[in-house]
Amino acid sequence: MTAPTALEATGPQTPAPHARRVRAQRRDHRPLRIAHLYPSLLNVAGDGGNLIAISRRAEWRGIRVEVAAVEKGETPDFRKFDVVLFHGGQDVEMAVAADDFAKKTPSLREAVDEGVLVFAVCAGLQLLGHRYISNAGEEMIGAGILDLETRGGPQRFMQHAACRVTIDGVTDTVVGFENHSGLTTLGPGCEAFGLVVAGAGNNGRDGLEGARSGNVFATYLHGPVLPKNPWLTDRLIEIAVSRAEGAPFTLAPLDDQLELRAHEVGLAKAMANRGRRTALEPAKLVRGLKRK
Amino acid sequence: MGSQTRRRLTGAPTSLTFRTFVALAAGKAAARATQLAGRGGGTAITGMVARRVDPQILRKLVLDRGEPVVAITGSNGKTTTARFTAALLRGEGIEVSHNSAGANLVQGVTSLAVSYSSLRGRLPSGVLVVEVDEGALPKVAPELAPRALLVTDLFRDQLDRFGEIYAVKDAIESVAAALPPDAALVVNGDDPMVAILAGEREGTRVTFGLELDRSTDEITRAADTIRCPRCQADLTYRHVYLSHMGDYRCAACGFKRPELDVAVTSLEVVGLDRTRCEIRTPAGRIAVDIPQSGVHIAYDAAGAIAILVGLGVPLDHAVESLADVGPAFGRLEKIDADDRSIVLAFAKNPTSYNTTLRALATEGEPRQLLIAASNTLVDGEDFGWLWDVDFESMAPKVERAVVSGLRADELANRLKYAGLSPRKMTVIEDRRDALDEALNGLPSGRRLVVLSGYTPLIELRNEMRRRGWTGRYWTV
Repeated sequence: MTAPTALEATGPQTPAPHARRVRAQRRDHRPLRIAHLYPSLLNVAGDGGNLIAISRRAEWRGIRVEVAAVEKGETPDFRKFDVVLFHGGQDVEMAVAADDFAKKTPSLREAVDEGVLVFAVCAGLQLLGHRYISNAGEEMIGAGILDLETRGGPQRFMQHAACRVTIDGVTDTVVGFENHSGLTTLGPGCEAFGLVVAGAGNNGRDGLEGARSGNVFATYLHGPVLPKNPWLTDRLIEIAVSRAEGAPFTLAPLDDQLELRAHEVGLAKAMANRGRRTALEPAKLVRGLKRK
Repeated sequence: MGSQTRRRLTGAPTSLTFRTFVALAAGKAAARATQLAGRGGGTAITGMVARRVDPQILRKLVLDRGEPVVAITGSNGKTTTARFTAALLRGEGIEVSHNSAGANLVQGVTSLAVSYSSLRGRLPSGVLVVEVDEGALPKVAPELAPRALLVTDLFRDQLDRFGEIYAVKDAIESVAAALPPDAALVVNGDDPMVAILAGEREGTRVTFGLELDRSTDEITRAADTIRCPRCQADLTYRHVYLSHMGDYRCAACGFKRPELDVAVTSLEVVGLDRTRCEIRTPAGRIAVDIPQSGVHIAYDAAGAIAILVGLGVPLDHAVESLADVGPAFGRLEKIDADDRSIVLAFAKNPTSYNTTLRALATEGEPRQLLIAASNTLVDGEDFGWLWDVDFESMAPKVERAVVSGLRADELANRLKYAGLSPRKMTVIEDRRDALDEALNGLPSGRRLVVLSGYTPLIELRNEMRRRGWTGRYWTV
């Protein structure tokens, strides 16, 4: 059964806060329909900022956005959406989401086969894979949409990070903050989202960050990642709109000074941190005095 | 238990080792040197230096001498609760030493003991009231053996330091469960993850919370514990009072808010100035009028009263004591800057931000804004949580904003996406220059709201003090 999904108001249409007029974008677009998975379960580390970034940057180009929160117990037809956002969460919430996610998986798989764009972060990445095996040996079954699996690791990677991402032959740097202990290994059925420049990436060993297969993008980068990587955000919007309208679509540029400044600072922090594999072990809750 | 408390103080004078003496002297000297250099109050350096010389200094000064300690931990409200507790205890004639500067890591707590202690290692008689950072608690608690431990609430505060809120909860659980039976565990019953702490423990337990017949908040996206801490099913709320705190129940396993020993039964928040509430205690009802504003103030006052209940100290002068406690450092603190006024608002996580923004909104503020965030040891490294703050509700009111601090970049970008036009924003990383810019553009007779994390707020406040606008804040 398809339960109706709660439509979240996206707030008033905010005009582009730029002197420059956005031209040639006024042709009528269908609204961009975004499914936000588990906003009340998987909501740590400001990942909701990804939704804000996509929504505002689409609206600033005159593209209306409709957001549906898809919570536990709801099984919409994901083919009705253009974008599915699947964010990170803490272990306990992730386990709750994993139980429920199995019921959403068949519809999501159909949507992915039709090219619906999925953007997943951290727990979202892990649950799109085959399975997650915790340190205690418990197994969470994932969607198997991405050919990857994850095992609990001995330490937590918590640091600024950066990687190189290539989309449609164009490569750029993506920065963010990683905060995970799971170690992910990619299978032959998917490629990496990016190549590690600084940080631990999927597992601290193979230099790969996240995963990608077709229009499914998954990363470990929080930050939140999209607001400070406007290049990536715009590519995602373009992919989603092009698919929805069946014709290639290019976004007009915006004044991204503030975004690029945040990007630069994130990159500088990641580079300063390069070579340090981790920031903190989970057991080390207490900052002692001796920091040598 | 008050008399018992005092009796324990007079006992067991252990002689001081030479090392401890040197540690005390060095710590005090370091504090003096930093103060003379005008670099703050030396609240952390004292403890840092003393511990370098004698790592056991805190244990020797406090635990070994049987000093009675009240420890306050949790994500929000530690400083204000500690101030209320100190005032209430003093009101009942008990002497109090208290780390009112909010330096609550191992170093800060050690600083408190060192600075209050004589060079012979003697603390003044009375009670030591300490706020302890939730991450530092497992390290600090064994050196203090608190007679009462209060847990305010658990929010996701500084995830980059702790990894996950559950790790913080487990750390507090280990300390709470190990409290001896005659020590009082004081918990916020309205916070599900706090209410469930040390459920198996036998011993004194006092719960506090709100018992209003209406909600004062709704579940927002900053709320992060709305699942049952016992079985993970969704909790249902009869009333929501502040973020995830309220009167809750789990339909699946029957877990529900405990009976409250100390309950706020009526509440009126008056602008940015006052909070009036009626509080039910085991000793009867009291009506208090506190010169600070907000629902969280009611929680902090109820918690402080619950500590006295747990210690067995009477509440004969509670009304007068609480009537005198003005805002702590930067908690909607008002400062007169010549012909203009400044409101300092401290915000460190989505919850404290949203609480503060809601309080400011009752007066149509902020309109003229100086906002700052810096990554430091105390403020954390990851500022992703700024995207969980409801800046969207604030943005339409703001006429002009100066964005400052080491992470002005993230903050400015966040505000742009919340709907604040970049044309209304000036980004100036340096705090002093930012203050100049904010005040230069401020029309005479208008109010500047300063919203900031801990470190930039200290820097800004020190700058205001240098300009003669405020008294010395440091008291430790």
